[in-house]
Amino acid sequence: MFVVGFFMLGLLLIGLQTTLLMLHPLWVPAPDLYFVLVAYLAYRHDVLRSLIILFPLSLIYDVLSGLLLGMYPALFLLGFFSLRFMAARLPVRESLYQLPMIGVCYLAVSWVVYLVMSFASTMDLAAWSWPVMLIRAGLVVVLAFPLFRFFEFFSRQTRERSRRWHRLRIRSGNRFRE
Amino acid sequence: MRKKGGGKNRGRARTLRLILLIGLLLTMGLIFLVSTLGSQKFGPLHELLFEAAGPVQSLLSRGSESLATLKTEYIDLLKVREENKRLWAKLRECRALSHKNREALATNTRLRKLLQFKEQSRLPTVAARIIGKDPSVWFRSVVIDRGASDGIARGMAVVNGDGVVGQVFAVSPNYAKVLLAIAPSSAMDVLLQKSRVRGILKGTGSLTYRLDYILKSVEVEEGDEVVSAGYGGVFPTGLPVGRVSRVVRKRRGMFLEIEVKPAVDFLTLEDLLIIEREPVAAPENGGIDGGPQ
Repeated sequence: MFVVGFFMLGLLLIGLQTTLLMLHPLWVPAPDLYFVLVAYLAYRHDVLRSLIILFPLSLIYDVLSGLLLGMYPALFLLGFFSLRFMAARLPVRESLYQLPMIGVCYLAVSWVVYLVMSFASTMDLAAWSWPVMLIRAGLVVVLAFPLFRFFEFFSRQTRERSRRWHRLRIRSGNRFRE
Repeated sequence: MRKKGGGKNRGRARTLRLILLIGLLLTMGLIFLVSTLGSQKFGPLHELLFEAAGPVQSLLSRGSESLATLKTEYIDLLKVREENKRLWAKLRECRALSHKNREALATNTRLRKLLQFKEQSRLPTVAARIIGKDPSVWFRSVVIDRGASDGIARGMAVVNGDGVVGQVFAVSPNYAKVLLAIAPSSAMDVLLQKSRVRGILKGTGSLTYRLDYILKSVEVEEGDEVVSAGYGGVFPTGLPVGRVSRVVRKRRGMFLEIEVKPAVDFLTLEDLLIIEREPVAAPENGGIDGGPQ
């Protein structure tokens, strides 16, 4: 339930990001909602379930955005593991620092992927623009707090539902135990 | 002593009041008898009474009129409120309708342009709508609602009523991804319409193109039209691509630095036409007029 729920939610976020929130093909203040989901899963949930959710979503994102296949899964997985590492190893575990850390991580991971792609690929990329990337990273940080709260709420709801479902299943399966 | 005097006075006053009351009653009775059984004449007393009662009547009548007006106005106010609500709803409805009409008009203009282009070019085309935009800052592409099942293939030219938009980059049965001509990885063969000189037009990722390989000896002016050359087999010859917006002649080098403003407004792209041609074998890692570079 949790995995399916978050997969659908991620799909919705990607859909929003590629339609309503992109007013035109050169729209700069387009928030990367999906990266916030990546950060949320990295901070709050276990690796296995998070990867089951993130991997297919990253592939979908890859198909809808960009021209170099594999670039977005690399970017998001790198972001996911970097955030997990920072949350576990660095002294910035408090949630106060976690939100700005998402923006910093977004910027750093984007820069690394851009650098690798511009060396490794024969395809030309648009020039790296600090103002644009800072705006995007800023948007990620600003939206992280409300989205984290929403994801928490969503997570509680899915858990509650799956618990109810399990209870129903147990009752219908074996009445002698009760 | 005082008590006795006081008691006498009070007794006298009471008697006087009694006498006055009886006198008043008698007088009233007399007046009543005279006025009813008498000559029925409207005398001075009646006039006096009439004059005395008149202002009271007038005051009361005015008061009742004011009350009636107040009541009517209150009811009217209630009605006006209802009317106001109804009119606001109507206004909202009209505004929505007007918005819809404006939208329909804009769509009509756009589609007319596309139709005109289709009729003029006489090329087999498929109309498509943009359903998604690439949120990446490094690439410029859009997703359209037509795919291989509609006859779309990789490498087909994409245009709208104003000119060249880009080319199909990836195709699935029902959808396709279009690489915009302004993408940094896009390159196409073009001609300067006036001088018929050929050059390579490259996207910059912003709202301008860069025109490369035009020799310094060529006369190029701002405002010169740039059209597709049609050499690569993707774009038909003569499609509007843009207009020269800046020419820089540097002392070093053989070529001019030319900036071209796109003929198409990439910020308001909605409806597109895909020119159906034999699928061009687009090079995997770039090429001119045949795929991304």
